[in-house]
Amino acid sequence: MSFSQPKEDKEIEEALVRKFQGGDLEAYDKIAEIYQKKIYGLSFNLTRNQMDAQDVTQEVLLTLFRKISMFQGKSAFSSWVYRITLNASYMKLRSKKKEPNVSIDELMPSYNGAGFQQEKIQDWSENTESLMFTNETRDVINKAVDLLPEKEKVVFLLRDVEGLSTEKTGEILELTVPAVKSRLHRARLFLRKKLSNYFEEFSSRKAEK
Amino acid sequence: MICCKECLDLLYDYLEGELDQETTKSLDEHFEDCPPCISFLNTYKSTTALCRETLNQVEIPEAIRDNLLKVIKEQKENN
Ligand SMILES: [Zn+2]
Repeated sequence: MSFSQPKEDKEIEEALVRKFQGGDLEAYDKIAEIYQKKIYGLSFNLTRNQMDAQDVTQEVLLTLFRKISMFQGKSAFSSWVYRITLNASYMKLRSKKKEPNVSIDELMPSYNGAGFQQEKIQDWSENTESLMFTNETRDVINKAVDLLPEKEKVVFLLRDVEGLSTEKTGEILELTVPAVKSRLHRARLFLRKKLSNYFEEFSSRKAEK
Repeated sequence: MICCKECLDLLYDYLEGELDQETTKSLDEHFEDCPPCISFLNTYKSTTALCRETLNQVEIPEAIRDNLLKVIKEQKENN
């Protein structure tokens, strides 16, 4: 399920970075064009606020401009950009009052003594089509992601939403591959449970009609 | 037969195709006989797909895009 960056893109990007490091301002425009949607998307998904996402995007684009000489090419350029974006987004979040996180453990699957599932699990996967693009569904999904604890949320956003590989996510967050996997799995379990509550309630609502 | 917990703990690697053949086979067999786990597997996959699609819909509003262009332009001129 991972789409890592195609090799060609990476080479084009590295060439752009070298050109810009050599003083080519057009190369910078192209870099900004490639990255601004990613930077904005990630920071918006973290902060849920357009002004914050704008501030972060602006700050990151300016940092790329001013500090390009600091990029040494030890890791991928994109990893560097993502790291700057995360730091800037966290600065925004830290300046705000934080709502207490829910405990993720309460939403993990539950088993009986023999290790078999205790809950009744409804399969709503075939019934999401009609609900997919409603505002209500979008809200439920956004809220569920917001409720994820930060550690799990950032892994989920980089790996599942941005579509980065497990290895690359680990590189950006300075986490081992097993740590990335386990956080992502927990995030998915949490979200699955949240969405299940919604879709199951929806189907019982429909049945009552 | 392995239990549901073992299956769901390995679900991530199972979907990534990272389990050895034997373990994959024992999960396949469990899923054949366990409707709750099949439902779980299907909804786990749907969850990822739904969230990805929804969160990827973020677009930069026109006004913000214009602001960013302005900031970049100024920065280049002051350089
Ligand atoms: Zn089972």
